[in-house]
Amino acid sequence: MTIPTGNALYFDGVTSARHKVTVELAPHALVIRAADGSMIEEWPYPRLKHLSAPDHVFRIGLRRHPLLARLEIGDTAFAHEIDLLAPDIDRTGASARRDRRQAIVWACLAAVALVLSAIYGVPHIADRLGPVVPRGFEQRVGVATNAQVRAMLDKGPASRPFECGVADVEKAGQAALNKLIAQLEAAADIRTPLTVAVVRRAEANAIALPGGYVYVFQGLIDKADNVDELAAVIAHEIGHVANRDGMRAVLQGAGLSFLFGMMLGDFVGGGAVVLAAKTILQSAYSRDVESAADRFGVRVMLTLGADARALGRFLERIAGKAPESFGVLLEHPAAKERAAAINAIAPPQSRGVRLLEPAEWAALKRICAGYRT
Amino acid sequence: MASGDAGGLAAAPLGVDQQTGNIRFLGHDAAYWRLLARGAVLLMITLGIYRFWLATDIRRFLWANTEVDGDSLEYSGTAIEILLGFLVAVALLVPLYTVFFLSAFNVATAGLMTGLAILTVAFVGQYAVWRARGYRLTRTVFRGLRFHQTGSGLHYAVCVLFWWGMMALTLGLAYPFAQASLERFKLRHTFYGELAGRFEGSGFALFMRGLPMWFVVMAPTLLSLSALLTVDWTRVGRIFERGRDTGDILTRLGTEVPEFYATIGLFIVSFGFAAVAAALFFPAFQTVVMRWWVSGLRFADIGFSSRLRMRDVYRAYLRFIGYLLLFALVMIVAAFVTFAVIGAVFGTSGQSKVAEIAIILAMVGLYVVSALGLSTIYQATAKLALWRLTMQSTELSGVAALDHVKAIGAPASPLGEGLADALNVGGL
Repeated sequence: MTIPTGNALYFDGVTSARHKVTVELAPHALVIRAADGSMIEEWPYPRLKHLSAPDHVFRIGLRRHPLLARLEIGDTAFAHEIDLLAPDIDRTGASARRDRRQAIVWACLAAVALVLSAIYGVPHIADRLGPVVPRGFEQRVGVATNAQVRAMLDKGPASRPFECGVADVEKAGQAALNKLIAQLEAAADIRTPLTVAVVRRAEANAIALPGGYVYVFQGLIDKADNVDELAAVIAHEIGHVANRDGMRAVLQGAGLSFLFGMMLGDFVGGGAVVLAAKTILQSAYSRDVESAADRFGVRVMLTLGADARALGRFLERIAGKAPESFGVLLEHPAAKERAAAINAIAPPQSRGVRLLEPAEWAALKRICAGYRT
Repeated sequence: MASGDAGGLAAAPLGVDQQTGNIRFLGHDAAYWRLLARGAVLLMITLGIYRFWLATDIRRFLWANTEVDGDSLEYSGTAIEILLGFLVAVALLVPLYTVFFLSAFNVATAGLMTGLAILTVAFVGQYAVWRARGYRLTRTVFRGLRFHQTGSGLHYAVCVLFWWGMMALTLGLAYPFAQASLERFKLRHTFYGELAGRFEGSGFALFMRGLPMWFVVMAPTLLSLSALLTVDWTRVGRIFERGRDTGDILTRLGTEVPEFYATIGLFIVSFGFAAVAAALFFPAFQTVVMRWWVSGLRFADIGFSSRLRMRDVYRAYLRFIGYLLLFALVMIVAAFVTFAVIGAVFGTSGQSKVAEIAIILAMVGLYVVSALGLSTIYQATAKLALWRLTMQSTELSGVAALDHVKAIGAPASPLGEGLADALNVGGL
């Protein structure tokens, strides 16, 4: 039996010189011989590996070779014979495709794991970490967030204060607000001291920040029909403070930024995915958080002997007027569902307790009257 | 010219006819398109994790199809290698990010810390760019020998930040000198086996070539910006503040701030001119820089010279724009169909949460497809053409020296690649 031989180009890995060699396909190894017939190297078939090369070149190397020795074969038929002898070489590309398919499956699984940790892992970790964050740190976070939020919300001219209750005609309203807050704070019995302010914003909304900052928008006071409705909203916001939801939101935001921002890397369009994922996920997290704050608010109102169902009523009335589009992006879940949940735990109550005297409520309604908006 | 081959992606390699040097590029457009398009789809499905494999495939394709003096380059890096590099880099960056995250909440030092964070990230980013370059060089094999890089990444990062500062101070005039200095640094530390590289391009030569373009773009930009300074902005602000009630902002701006409309007009015209000029000059600028760069490269006695032609580069960009317009048309139709389907399925009431989520997902999806499509088209047309044109127009002198180079240098770690990826400064 004759041993098949062929011509090849050999680079020994020591210098860049091109060597024209003949290659013999011996039974157990590929033998590289110089032009004069002397043997240069013997490459066992199991250690051969196929290397990246242009289409017309069959380039192989040797695994665990101390140098980057290369053998290049132009003859397709001869390349095919080597392919048959070497177990790890597959010129059809089938094994490379199989490896690649495996990599793709693993990458998909990793992507799923990433999404699952964003949906379940991040809020869970934030829930665990939130309560153990030192109060002092939360206070600092609050001060920083407060400065940012104020800068974002305060779009009015510098000539008028952002907070209501400062001008002379507003002072009576501020006194009424203080009285209301004092009752709510006492009933809520929380450790974080509250800083509540009414601000000149037309939306019917209120927000709570880390560190006990609560902002009630002027639009909310305008829309409130009675003191119980306003008190119920503030009680709900105190619920956020008590549950340290602001701190949790900060932790969740950081977790999501890390997961999606860093792990996702810089593939084109990644930025939009990160933003959309954060928006949808954080609004999903907020549903449970809002219901918890609702329950807290109901408890406070019941403790005070005030109308605990006022929040649900008020929410439904505001939602009825607001445009419904892109409700997913709004922080609060559907008003109807929330009102139903509130009514389920709050007994209907005849109005026994007056949180504020009628005159005080009237003054509170005018707490932003000092400046034209 | 885009219309000429818009019918088939398997167009003949651009510019084969102008083969001048002893470097050839053999890759076919169709194969590269397939590779990139499949990669874009997989990037989407795997939320970007596929990027390690795609980057490796791209490099393998470009390297393997580039033939220098009869032998093709080989990219020997693997996707798993750079994936591991990335994971290590993330682990290293977590403490750094945690420190910045926590310090952001201290109001007194927030500004200082933000500045420090930006500087640190820029510095680590450039260090990573240097290390990533070392990784790619040691994974580049030619005739059984690898390239390698010596020198300190910290030193390089300091130099880059210094030159960034100089460019900002001189409104970009320092760019040629920055390039010359940084290329000298890079090539001084680059080796093919024992052959040491160096860079002989002169910053002043590039400066003279680029000066006319700089002037045409920067003069109107400066004019437009200085025009804005002549407007009394406090008065404009007051008019806007009061005008919110009366609604006569536009007329009052004209009468009370007489220079307002003329200035805004001047700003729009001159800034628009500068932007259009910058876009039109871009291929020319790229050609000038590329020709200058290639012609400045040396490896011991081996010299490089480039005959890259400007009109070929312009042709490549026109082809890119042709494909881009085609793609934009497809995306507009796709967006129309998508929203029509959503409208038909969910009705026009807009009350249901499912409909809202569907709309958001459709918008994000369309955006991602557009962005990935744009990047794919850019890479497959403009970038590939530029690579091909650059290679084909490069002539080597003293190639005999290539035949007897001795091997030195060990493979570099992929950590730099990972760092660069995690910091979003990854290159090719």
